[in-house]
Amino acid sequence: MGTNLAKSTSAQSSVSLVIGSGSVKCAAAIGVASVLREAGIRIERVVGCSGGALFATLIAMGHDDATARDMTLRLWTQDITARRNNRALLSALAPKLMGFKASRFGLRDDSLINHRLQEAFGDARIEDLQVPLHITATNFMDGELVDLSRGPVTSAIRASLAIPFAFAPVELDGQLLVDGYVSDPLPISVAIKHGARVIVAVGFESPMMEQIGSAGRFAMQLSSIMSNNLLRARYAFNSVAHHAEVITIIPEFKKRIRLFDTDKVPYIIDAGAQAAREQIDYLRRLLDVDGAAGARVQ
Amino acid sequence: MELATTHHDHVTVLAIAGSVDSLTADTLTAALVEHVGTGRVRLVCDFSAVNYTSSAGLRSLLGALKESRRLGGDLRMAAVQPSVLRVLSLSGFAGIIKIFDDVPGAVSSFAAGA
Repeated sequence: MGTNLAKSTSAQSSVSLVIGSGSVKCAAAIGVASVLREAGIRIERVVGCSGGALFATLIAMGHDDATARDMTLRLWTQDITARRNNRALLSALAPKLMGFKASRFGLRDDSLINHRLQEAFGDARIEDLQVPLHITATNFMDGELVDLSRGPVTSAIRASLAIPFAFAPVELDGQLLVDGYVSDPLPISVAIKHGARVIVAVGFESPMMEQIGSAGRFAMQLSSIMSNNLLRARYAFNSVAHHAEVITIIPEFKKRIRLFDTDKVPYIIDAGAQAAREQIDYLRRLLDVDGAAGARVQ
Repeated sequence: MELATTHHDHVTVLAIAGSVDSLTADTLTAALVEHVGTGRVRLVCDFSAVNYTSSAGLRSLLGALKESRRLGGDLRMAAVQPSVLRVLSLSGFAGIIKIFDDVPGAVSSFAAGA
């Protein structure tokens, strides 16, 4: 079936893929990319934010589903947040005594995630990947979205994954960077700015908690409320502002997915593929029309 | 996409079937512009048979919503399917447009002054 789809699709068919924040749920993008490939639709650019940055990179590197899944299973496990950063905690409680530094403040030790990212991506650079990649982070000093499209992959992903309070910010090119979701949980604007026409956006709202029994969960709930409202506001503006089409894929999970439910990655990828299949006929017709219009202009 | 129009007192109901997207938005926009342009500014879009709405569809609805309100009317939605409702919610549309469970509820809301 994949061959037939590919044959009937215009050679000019391409889309920009945007993957928003959403921790392990972002693995759904692997399934989306797989369905696009199967249909002969080229990914011309991929944008990733926070958890989405990880999967955007795997797609930009050209990894197949099985490799991407295996890398995720090795990389994203609960133990990356298991160790506390006691020094950061003490510096928060006694800033004058311990010397509080924003650039080092994260309540979880990040040595394991740094090691895992280095192990997975080594010295790879963003500008050398098969597909143009943009990883988004947030400038902690002015709140602006930062589009990382050059430089080491590991630093960029780590910056995009600098979850406030959990992982320390990252200093990169003179900027102090925190998680991309703080400025835009679904950075469609980056694809628009780079001239995308048809954009496939894979996004997730942060889950709300039913029980809040600790200060940490209190903070997480506030963060979810703010990021969801930010997501809707930015998404609304981008949808109205974009001159062409934004196709939004929101995979439906019948199982509850927690932050580190890595064992559910195969299920999440399948859910992403299923959600993409529901849009693929429309996408192909749209790209056929778009390609014909482009040919007339030329 | 298919469109069917019915009139209920001073309310025009536009039943839409299929996908409201980049390939069909112009047709929907033309129909809505025609209604609003001829003074039928109390509109209900019956979404019971709409299975998908993209950004182009949202732009079409937003244009008609603004114009109908500018002229003293309103555009309301009825029977929106869960998958479409998710997009309306994510895009903030659910916060600015009145959505009803069914067409009779949406039609009668105009008489009730809601």
